[in-house]
Amino acid sequence: MVEKKPITPSEDVLNPKTAAEKLTKKKAKEQQDELSEEDQQLVNELQMIVDRLKEPSTEIHQSALENLRNIIRSTTGSMTSVPKPLKYLKAHYETLTGLYDSWSDPKNKKLLASILSLLGMAYDKGDKRDCLKYRLLAGYENGTVSEWGHEYVRHIAMEVGAEYAEKADEDDKEAETEQLLNISLEIIPFFLKHNAEADAVDLLSELDHHELIADFVSKETFERVCLYMISCSPLLAPPADLGFLETARKIYHKFGKPSQCLPLSIKLGRPDMIKEDWESCSTRLDKAQLAFIMARQQVHMPELIDDDDDELLACMNNSNLSKNYLDLARDLELLDPKSPEDIYKSHLENTNIDAALDSARHNLASTFVNAFVNAGYGTDKLMTANADGNEWIYKNKDLGMLSAAASLGMIMLWDVEVGLNQIDKYLYTNDNSIKSGAILAIGMLTSSVHDETDSAKALLSDYITEESNPAIVKLAAISGIGMAYAGTNREDIVDILLPIVSDTEITIDLSSIAALSAGLVCIGSGNSDVSTVILQAMMERMDSELNHKYARFMALGLALLYLGSQGTYDAILETLKAITHPISKQASVLIQVCAFAGSGNVLEVQKMLHMCAEHLGEKEDQLPQAFAVLGVGLIAMGEGIGSEMALRTFDHLMHYGEPYVRRAVPLAIALVCASNPLVGVLDTLNKFSHDNDKAVATSAVFAMGIVGAGTNNARLAQLLRQLATYYHRDADMLFTVRIAQGLLHMGKGTMSVNPYHHDRSLLSHTALAGLLIPLVAMINAEKLIITDSHFLLYYLVRAMYPRFLITFDENLESVSASVRVGQAVDAVGQVGRPKTITGFQTHDTPVLLAHSERAELATDKYIPLTNVLEGFVILKKNPEYQEEESA
Amino acid sequence: MGNAQSGFPGGPPGDKNKKDKKKKKWEPPVPTTIGKRKKRKGPDGIIKLPKVHPTIRCNLKLLKLNRINDYMLMEEEFIQNQQLHKPQEEKTQEERARVDELRGTPITVGSLEEVIDDNHAIISTTTGPEYYVSMLSFVDKDQLEPGCSVLLHSKTYAIVGVLQDDADPMVSVMKLEKAPTESYADVGGLEQQIQEIKEAVELPLTHPELYEEMGIKPPKGVILYGVPGTGKTLLAKAVANQTSATFLRVVGSELIQKYLGDGPKLVRELFRVAEENAPSIVFIDEIDAIGTKRYDSTSGGEKEIQRTMLELLNQLDGFDSRGDVKVIMATNKIESLDPALIRPGRIDRKIEFPLPDVKTKRHIFGIHTSRMTLSEDVDLEEFVMSKDDLSGADIKAICTEAGLLALRERRMKVCNEDFRKAREKVLYRKSEGTPEGLYL
Repeated sequence: MVEKKPITPSEDVLNPKTAAEKLTKKKAKEQQDELSEEDQQLVNELQMIVDRLKEPSTEIHQSALENLRNIIRSTTGSMTSVPKPLKYLKAHYETLTGLYDSWSDPKNKKLLASILSLLGMAYDKGDKRDCLKYRLLAGYENGTVSEWGHEYVRHIAMEVGAEYAEKADEDDKEAETEQLLNISLEIIPFFLKHNAEADAVDLLSELDHHELIADFVSKETFERVCLYMISCSPLLAPPADLGFLETARKIYHKFGKPSQCLPLSIKLGRPDMIKEDWESCSTRLDKAQLAFIMARQQVHMPELIDDDDDELLACMNNSNLSKNYLDLARDLELLDPKSPEDIYKSHLENTNIDAALDSARHNLASTFVNAFVNAGYGTDKLMTANADGNEWIYKNKDLGMLSAAASLGMIMLWDVEVGLNQIDKYLYTNDNSIKSGAILAIGMLTSSVHDETDSAKALLSDYITEESNPAIVKLAAISGIGMAYAGTNREDIVDILLPIVSDTEITIDLSSIAALSAGLVCIGSGNSDVSTVILQAMMERMDSELNHKYARFMALGLALLYLGSQGTYDAILETLKAITHPISKQASVLIQVCAFAGSGNVLEVQKMLHMCAEHLGEKEDQLPQAFAVLGVGLIAMGEGIGSEMALRTFDHLMHYGEPYVRRAVPLAIALVCASNPLVGVLDTLNKFSHDNDKAVATSAVFAMGIVGAGTNNARLAQLLRQLATYYHRDADMLFTVRIAQGLLHMGKGTMSVNPYHHDRSLLSHTALAGLLIPLVAMINAEKLIITDSHFLLYYLVRAMYPRFLITFDENLESVSASVRVGQAVDAVGQVGRPKTITGFQTHDTPVLLAHSERAELATDKYIPLTNVLEGFVILKKNPEYQEEESA
Repeated sequence: MGNAQSGFPGGPPGDKNKKDKKKKKWEPPVPTTIGKRKKRKGPDGIIKLPKVHPTIRCNLKLLKLNRINDYMLMEEEFIQNQQLHKPQEEKTQEERARVDELRGTPITVGSLEEVIDDNHAIISTTTGPEYYVSMLSFVDKDQLEPGCSVLLHSKTYAIVGVLQDDADPMVSVMKLEKAPTESYADVGGLEQQIQEIKEAVELPLTHPELYEEMGIKPPKGVILYGVPGTGKTLLAKAVANQTSATFLRVVGSELIQKYLGDGPKLVRELFRVAEENAPSIVFIDEIDAIGTKRYDSTSGGEKEIQRTMLELLNQLDGFDSRGDVKVIMATNKIESLDPALIRPGRIDRKIEFPLPDVKTKRHIFGIHTSRMTLSEDVDLEEFVMSKDDLSGADIKAICTEAGLLALRERRMKVCNEDFRKAREKVLYRKSEGTPEGLYL
């Protein structure tokens, strides 16, 4: 035990105050002491160098500077802290900058400036940009820019960008920016050499000289540079977006990649570039590959093909589409026709009531389902099963007979010769409905394929011009010719159609459909003749006529002329203002949204949202609002971010919107996610499909069909079956559900209606129009699709395309190669050689590709002539390939 | 397949073509609800923000983020306009009232046994029987998972709500609420170790893009090992002090539980909480309590401990990938650990904590004596330069002991003699622990 003494306050005991004092003193001391020996040594050394630099004699300066440089260079700083020499030099930074100003020897000055530049980076205060200042003073030639490593270069690049942005506002910028540009031209090669393609492109684009990158790229880097530029382009403001594409194309051109140039040329909409690409092809096979891509996009330029090369022409005309599609079907064992009942699987539906509540309606639905499911196969169980399909046609009523006869065109899709033979017999019946159905079928049959004899025009034009024909026949002929020649921009077709548009004697429905067809034919061309005529027609028509349900197609026809034009429609909008009828509002909205379709332009989306946010009175026309909703989808569908965000926006629209807005929301969702059944989207649509507002439910069900079109998605199939049960008493809804089921199994699950193709990079205008027309019609489904204008559904034919990958050998014969198919991965900006697909499976071609899937060759035996394996791809034998020795 | 309620889809298939189509009937909708309760909260797909793809710093990423921002601004504007025009409160209140009406006053709590399809589930109640009941549509399906507690309607037993089953209270205790006061400045020397742990644990959480640019995956965890008293726990404390990530700390022995299966469960819970609160750092001290080499043992307790370790192995590098969860382990017997535990991929970095060298010793002495009043005659160099094996903890002990000795003598200053005595004492005690001569 220690004896206890009371502790008395004495001098020994510290009072708190002195303790605190001592403590702070200690701390100060401690801070100094904290430097270990090595650090102290370093500090001293640095001090010494600085002292030496302060001396007047210039001789020792150089050695001192070299010394300093070596010290800084030799420290391998960790990523987590500032290198020590830099830390200790901070105290001397001011002195050094002072010294720099006082010196005169240029060589030493340069050396010092280079060091100061590095220090400037380390002590950067944000706006001073010392780093750049001294770098410019130190000179930047011969790779000295990179002497301090890549972080330093990045910093300089950042300061160059900031400096340029500042200078750009000033007037006398020439000399300054010249210098900035020069230094960046020194930086770019460094970036490209060090895996920083993105930085290189960013730097040049900040200086507004992105086209210069083409001079720097090498064989190793150009792919990555181009990929980065292409994926930047949809997010950039014009004109940089097109500029990026042009630069990327230039690079591809430089490295002899016509198949990669072509999609960009098409995107830019420049026939001269397409021609250039075509001519840059070294071999005939390359040309054939380009022809395939052009055929898919419906760019028809037969003048490019010389010497009557029929084989190439066939590629470009898409003449073999039907044959190849059937080959695919044979390969996948899909040739057996399916009946509507195979699709409905009504035995799985949970109803005891017999479905034949409204048998005519039921039969009509079956007609459509049959047409969609067996599209392109040439055989089915209703129309072609027995020698004459009359039996089934007569099971329909009135306009149903039209659709039934027209379904033949869908079934025979793309097979012009056989199809015409089949349809021919119906052209001579006395029943006008059947006759007009057959006429429509001809139009459908020849869509997406160009045939030499121009049979659609030969057959259809008479029906249009012949005065004595009944209206319905004319109507079918007009829309048929529109389907057949969509996107061809042919004068002769327009000449046939325009008189109908301008004729005010005939009923408005004919004129409207004629305007729509004219819009389809001249899609995206901004053809001023057509627009004038349509505008004229709108002005001359009476208000009562413009109230007709078909009048909207006149507006749509006008809008299609400007599809994707991004502007150039101002004059038209002004003219439209002169029309007092609400159709002018409809037309102006449609024109605006079509013009920016797929552009992702945020300002336009905002405009549309403002329109949707209005709450209109009872009397006002609500269609423009509905179009605006579709427009949000239409504008946003171009790039990934926009379309995902648009889905969020739709959620809000659904929540707050007026009835017309709400019923358009599912359709807009369908537009964004066509043939892309995402689980979340299906859930949302399923929710909407039970909405209290029947119009909303109808459009949601239809949207489910479009979203799943051609995918055979089992989950969606089940949802639709449940809906069929849920709505088994409601004939209208059941009809829509059946249609959706038909769409889901379109082409027995081999088709897509997504207007984007070529790895989701190219937008097919005609396909978009084909999708848009039924959707516009669905806004008033109760007046159009569900009652008598169901034939409008056939416009979908323009959007339908097989989602296959078929490989050809050098003789354009189909050949089987093993490919890996998997989910596409966005590999932009990733380092190394990232995989472009994930979760892949290996198959032998021909294969089907779902939305957002990608394929790549799994063997070294062949080299594909295009880097996007989609549609028709030609494979070249790999000369270096060696057959593996089988043991 | 019993009778489904009329009006509800998903009932039994018809009698006729039952055989061939029956399979299809049952496959699709189940997976949406089960076991999906990981990262996404709320309905998926439509609400969540899109992922921005290039993770490196570049203009493209900026553009994409700007685009998202633009859309968000538009949404905000739209909603604000709508709210001004037509306040939704009334509507929501009305809807809420209706939901409440449907829900009734639930008094029964059941546990979810199995989800049958989107609308039906099997539940069991404490009273015994299991029921096949419907789930009302307003129940948040994303929170349902087998085994969770659900609220049942008082009459029909339909599921009307989910009781949120929070994490094991044991785990929530592990979460560090208050950061320790020790910082990196309190660690003497160990610069190499600090750098390594920073690179492996902190940097991946703060600058993941650096690793991406390099094209490597950041290390998942580190193990700190070395003789006792060399600052392993201290460094972990400094990490906790420095980081803003969630810091969970466990001692190996805490994971040993009384009942079978409780230990592994705790480990699972621990990592689940860590992932929910990601980015997070899990610090397991004295890992040798559960991580010793496996051997055949007849003792049930021993087996249980091994199973706990197996669970830990799985959590570290198993089938499911952990996101931003970093693991720090500390032990002083690395040689006794199971090799599977510290293989690369589970623990990528092994950081050794050696006994301090002269320089470090000086530093540590400096740290500990900085707040003591020393008399002028104290010459720390003497102790620093001595050849004894002194660890950081020993040095601290010497300083404390010296202070105590001075206190005993009623001096307010510590003199050299105190230090000398203290050293003797500490070193004597240290060697006392060794069993030399124990069996003589």
